Amino acid sequence: MAIIGNPKYAERIDHHLAKYETKRSAVMPLLFIAQEEYGWVNAEGIDEVAQILNLDPTQVKSIAGFYTMYSERPKGKYWLQVCTDLPCALKGADDFHAWLKDELGVEEGGTTKDGMFTVEHVMCLAACDKAPMLQCNFHYVENLDQDKMRELLAKWRLEAAQAANGRG
Amino acid sequence: MSDRVTINVDGKDYAVAAGSNLVDAAKWHAGNDIPVFCYHPKMEPVGMCRMCLVELGTPSRDRATGEVMLNDDGSPQIRYFPKLQTACTTTVSDGMHVKTNTQAVIDARNDVLEFLLSSHPLDCPICDKGGECPLQNLTMRHGPQSSRMYFEDKQLLEKHYPLGDLIFLDRERCIQCARCVRFQDEVVGDDVLAFHERGRRLQIITNSDPGFDTYFSGNTTDVCPVGALTTTDFRFGARPWELNEVPSISPWDAAGENINLSMRLDRDFGGKAQIKRVMPRQNERVNEIWISDKTRFGHHFTRSEDRLTLPLMRAGGALRESNWSAVTPAIAAALESADGDVAAIAGGSMTNEDLWELRKLVEGLGGSRLGAWMPTHGGAEIVAEVGVGFGTNLGQLGRGDAILVIASDLEEEVPMWRLRLKQAQDRGAYLVVANARHTRLEDFAVQGARNDKVVEGDFIRYGAGEAVAVMQNLSADQPEIAERLSKAENLVIVAGAEGLTLDGSKALAQAAANFLIESGHIGRRNNGLLIPFPGANGMGLHYLGYRPEATLDIMENPPKTLIVAQAELLDDDPAARAWLSRVETIIYANFFDDGISELADYVLAIQSFAERDGSFVNGERRVQRFYTAQGPIGQSLPAWRVFGGIRQALGNGPLQPSAAAVMLDLSDKISEFDGITYEALAQVKREFPDVGGRDQYYGGTAYSNTGGLGVQIPTASDKRKGRRPRRLNAPEPPAASANEVLLMPITRLYNRQRNFAPTLILAPRILRPFAIVNSDDAAAMGIGQGDIVEIRAGEAVVRVQAALSDDISAGAVALPRHLTAEAIPLAITAGSISKIAEAVALAD
Amino acid sequence: MHILLRGRDIENIKQLDVYEGHGGFAGLQKALAMTPSEVIDVVKASGLRGRGGAGFPTGVKWSFIPQHEPVKFVTVNADESETGTFKDREIMEENPYQLIEGSLICAYAIQAKAVYIYLRGEFWDIGDQLDECIESLRAKGYVGENIMGSGYNCEVYTHLGAGAYICGEESALLNSLEGYLGQPRVRPPFPAQKGGGLYKEATVVNNVETLANVPFILSEGADAFKAIGTEQSTGNKIYCVSGHVKRPDNYELPMGTTFRELLYEQAGGPLYEERPFKAMLPSGGSGPIVPLTDEVLDTPMSYEDCANIGTIIGSASIIVMDETVDMTWVASKVTKFFQHESCGKCTPCREGTYWLDKVIDRILDGRGSPEDVKRIADVAENMAGTTLCALGDFAANPIIHTIRHFPDDFARHVQT
Ligand SMILES: Cc1cc2nc3c(=O)[nH]c(=O)nc-3n(C[C@H](O)[C@H](O)[C@H](O)COP(=O)(O)O)c2cc1C
Ligand code: SF4
Ligand code: FES
Repeated sequence: MAIIGNPKYAERIDHHLAKYETKRSAVMPLLFIAQEEYGWVNAEGIDEVAQILNLDPTQVKSIAGFYTMYSERPKGKYWLQVCTDLPCALKGADDFHAWLKDELGVEEGGTTKDGMFTVEHVMCLAACDKAPMLQCNFHYVENLDQDKMRELLAKWRLEAAQAANGRG
Repeated sequence: MSDRVTINVDGKDYAVAAGSNLVDAAKWHAGNDIPVFCYHPKMEPVGMCRMCLVELGTPSRDRATGEVMLNDDGSPQIRYFPKLQTACTTTVSDGMHVKTNTQAVIDARNDVLEFLLSSHPLDCPICDKGGECPLQNLTMRHGPQSSRMYFEDKQLLEKHYPLGDLIFLDRERCIQCARCVRFQDEVVGDDVLAFHERGRRLQIITNSDPGFDTYFSGNTTDVCPVGALTTTDFRFGARPWELNEVPSISPWDAAGENINLSMRLDRDFGGKAQIKRVMPRQNERVNEIWISDKTRFGHHFTRSEDRLTLPLMRAGGALRESNWSAVTPAIAAALESADGDVAAIAGGSMTNEDLWELRKLVEGLGGSRLGAWMPTHGGAEIVAEVGVGFGTNLGQLGRGDAILVIASDLEEEVPMWRLRLKQAQDRGAYLVVANARHTRLEDFAVQGARNDKVVEGDFIRYGAGEAVAVMQNLSADQPEIAERLSKAENLVIVAGAEGLTLDGSKALAQAAANFLIESGHIGRRNNGLLIPFPGANGMGLHYLGYRPEATLDIMENPPKTLIVAQAELLDDDPAARAWLSRVETIIYANFFDDGISELADYVLAIQSFAERDGSFVNGERRVQRFYTAQGPIGQSLPAWRVFGGIRQALGNGPLQPSAAAVMLDLSDKISEFDGITYEALAQVKREFPDVGGRDQYYGGTAYSNTGGLGVQIPTASDKRKGRRPRRLNAPEPPAASANEVLLMPITRLYNRQRNFAPTLILAPRILRPFAIVNSDDAAAMGIGQGDIVEIRAGEAVVRVQAALSDDISAGAVALPRHLTAEAIPLAITAGSISKIAEAVALAD
Repeated sequence: MHILLRGRDIENIKQLDVYEGHGGFAGLQKALAMTPSEVIDVVKASGLRGRGGAGFPTGVKWSFIPQHEPVKFVTVNADESETGTFKDREIMEENPYQLIEGSLICAYAIQAKAVYIYLRGEFWDIGDQLDECIESLRAKGYVGENIMGSGYNCEVYTHLGAGAYICGEESALLNSLEGYLGQPRVRPPFPAQKGGGLYKEATVVNNVETLANVPFILSEGADAFKAIGTEQSTGNKIYCVSGHVKRPDNYELPMGTTFRELLYEQAGGPLYEERPFKAMLPSGGSGPIVPLTDEVLDTPMSYEDCANIGTIIGSASIIVMDETVDMTWVASKVTKFFQHESCGKCTPCREGTYWLDKVIDRILDGRGSPEDVKRIADVAENMAGTTLCALGDFAANPIIHTIRHFPDDFARHVQT
């Protein structure tokens, strides 16, 4: 589908357009909506955001490229961003991150073959007292260890399978 | 407040303009070149590159009294900032102290250069910018001896990234100064370049469709302070130090952009000098330091294989190659036998010298009809009276001033004017665009804000053909707009001819003149009328006696013998074949054979602007000369020599020895040219910003103007004040019957005209033939987006694609000239439109 | 007693009725009964200094806003991206109404038209929660038109960033909020000046913790606030303790508490008994590192005292490292952060962070030489003081100070 004319987003788009003094200010929230719709910030999403805001698509692409939370590449259903910044690293986050990649069989930034998980490391997420931690699709999961992580992976796999069945 | 302040640079005081930028002030007044990369005097400072760091201090003031505190010796106490400051983001203030030669400053410059070079490839010997590169230059002057970074740790980036058809980006060379991005955004108003990613990964991108596509894109390669941006045209074409810069003038439109032709002897061109690139030449009143892409890339026709190289003469029914010594007396004889029924039609890019010799030839034979081609834009005589005042500089229009553009699509007709008027609006001028359809400039007029700056503008949409009435009744029908225009400190009106007949365009000019006169906006600089005449010398045609009205007369009552010079009649006028067939003898002088050779008796190879000296008068009435850059193509001659030679053969006086001599002759006879000599035209003086210096901060070396700034012809109202509005003989606006539409010929900058075709790199930008049709009209006629329609009007029959639009008035169809192989009507006319095939994809 | 982390004392203070029941909006009510400049005077008198890092006096900042300008804004800096900082998050999660109340008091004091809360993008869930808070406040007349019957109107909005540390820098934050690249602006004009703030209008930018202090100052009075802390550093401060301590957490304590009190008494001392502390970064990645000597431990945590030991209290994100930690590795970690977060706008930071990272990698890999240590020290010195915003200085700090304090840790990697 698209984001323009999609009833799912109409209200949110209007809310964002209303809250700023200029249309251009809404580029960030709208890019999040595009990412939600397409799973990543693809060319369609950029063009639609540009159209809504009356901007050149170059400007929108530029914004998408500057910020790390917009993915300009497709990613897994669960986008796992492990904090490996200094405070977390002092509590074993580097090892945890390496283990997780091993466990899922992916390289840094890579996605599992089944398209389920993308793993990458990120800078400090303001959760240093709860290391190791990660962010899954922008929701925090804290005080992790390998056992807890295995359970979570299983849970997410199940969730995804159920969702697929529910639909099919 | 005084307009001067005193600043102290390295211990010496200088009086500088208040409010000026410190980099500019130091350079202009103190001769101190504070090095810069990101700063450019034509753009807002951004303080990014950190090359311009200086020690900066201001006088300490007593908190209570506000008085400057003094040292024991009576000198003011200076408080220096603890950190070095960027000069480029500093505005001068009275008593400011600047140190540019301390160890801290020297170290900082050295460090910034080391940082930049740590990522920059060392490929100067193969770089297009090598030899005129600010980075290279500043490194020699301020830089570290060698890089201390590890070569193998350098990022490897794309070296040949096409941003579009015209501009390539070398991502390794880019130093992230954002000059290109800012040029497109601030100067042009098309923000199609931007940064992507961040940190060291920051790089220039475009995500527009098509790629980097504006009419000014080439200027980014000039402002780029390194060789990161190059044009497809010049890439690897030559080393800058092998080039010889020849001052010239753009042959395309009424702006008269000053250019330099960068010449190099070329093996592919028989070892002769060849144009390797076209660069802007600084002339702040005309084009500042910018040129349009058409001017930059349109030069290829000058050495096209298809150029005429010889005179041709009809013998035994066929045109045969000949030579000047045979052709000249033959033409003289033919002209003599016409018994005075001789007329001439000259194109809009003929030089003054050519026009003068042609006129002398015709008048010497007793002929009097001198026609201007194309006969579309009237009102040159009105410009001569109330044109923009002597000393006008569109670059000075700003807050408190106003601009009205009516019946013209300046982006397509005179892109440089569109650029400069948009800039004037950025500086605060009120911009009104009036037309029967949407044009690019209207986008700017209707914007409320640009780059966080409030911009003021309005637009008026009128029915096709109604421009005169709109101008005439502006105060009654658009009182608010009229009021703002009238009250403006300075007012410039650009009156075009779109949607008008010749009479209509003349009436529009008069209506505009009346408005200017009534509101007191004439006879002063930065006030008055501009008309975007086609070609580079529309006003020259007028001053030398060529009239579009005469052309219409010639078309109606063709003479026995007609001289056609640099005018592509068949391409421009669907009726030309018919009326030319009534001429007995046609003498045709041009660069190319455009098909008229079927009809012509003599076809004369003449030289282009690149091969000879000459002069044009631009739309602002500035006489500007250009110089010989390349050798002649074959046996071609300058047109003035051809006509002068024939005149001599007729015994009407001697042939002038040079273009300069022709100018002396004509300035003697034509009062407006009084005092205009090649010497006067060659005068230059230092202009702000100073872009030509050794420092090369602002781009390539070719900016510097060694060819002259030209001389502006005053208007009648500059000389004598107190004009009165004239009664206006407004012709009936054109009307269409029930089954017809009004066809408005419009101009496209990139088109299929003969001179433009050899510029292959721009060929992909030429749109397929189309016509803009009002959406509601289209619906009523069953025409869909992209459908093929046939348009008929008089002799004209063309098939084009329909482009539906809500932004064109009902009943009007805009039909671009020179996109179709067949000519379209010269002026607005009633015609029919009908669908003949379903849509094909409209996109190119 | 907690002034800020009241979620720890009062259950469910994140609910509006509970917040109201515990004195919520008394401060705003008081403010609305005063003139705007009286409110500014109270905040000035309290001695409150900005908690975003620079410690600029808050009341003074508000007083810079030109009164005659018709349009003004407040932006709340909730970007909280400094390595090791997680205090604003707890305020917003557990005591959100207090932040909004503080923002509204600020807005009233400068007569702002609207408040924008700029949250780092990762605070996605917090953003949703704040939006709900704003809606319930609007329903009760605390936000929007005619606030608490005073005739004053002000809107409150949230805005999510999208992963960029630099957007915590106030002028980059404003650019980001306007939909431009989050790159710092040239100053002057400063945000508080016309032309320098949000949409070019005069704007106050304050940190979350700063504003969360304001309701207390208004309701309890400037003197009550001043009674806490030291002469020049008044009030409580939240210290974020992470790394090798037993109880990493936020601790709200008076300014001027010693590092020893915080790290041993509150945070429980070294994580592993047998491994004593070696060093700490008292202000995340950006402030100078200091060895945890007795002298340092006994230093009061105040703006003025930290300066005496060659560091800053900054945002008080205290990252503690024990003796097993290699300072070259620390320098590398911090450098990678700044390398990743440099906005790229200015040359020394863009190029410098890139090259520092490359050369430290060499050193850590064992490919380095003693020359390389000197090289990175030089590069860092060249960056310091020449950049457009402070990130360049921040990035130079870890290199300069780790090398200064722990030369042996570097020497070990480059022995030939
Ligand atoms: C690179 C950089 C990052 C910053 N990040 C933050 C941040 O995440 N949160 C914050 O409140 N202030 C941050 N600041 C400080 C802000 O620029 C600004 O000083 C602060 O928001 C002012 O608020 P305060 O007066 O309440 O402290 C940062 C500064 C710099 C130079
Ligand atoms: S110091 Fe770094 S973050 Fe700050 S403006 Fe310069 S490049 Fe951007
Ligand atoms: S920072 Fe001043 S010229 Fe670039």
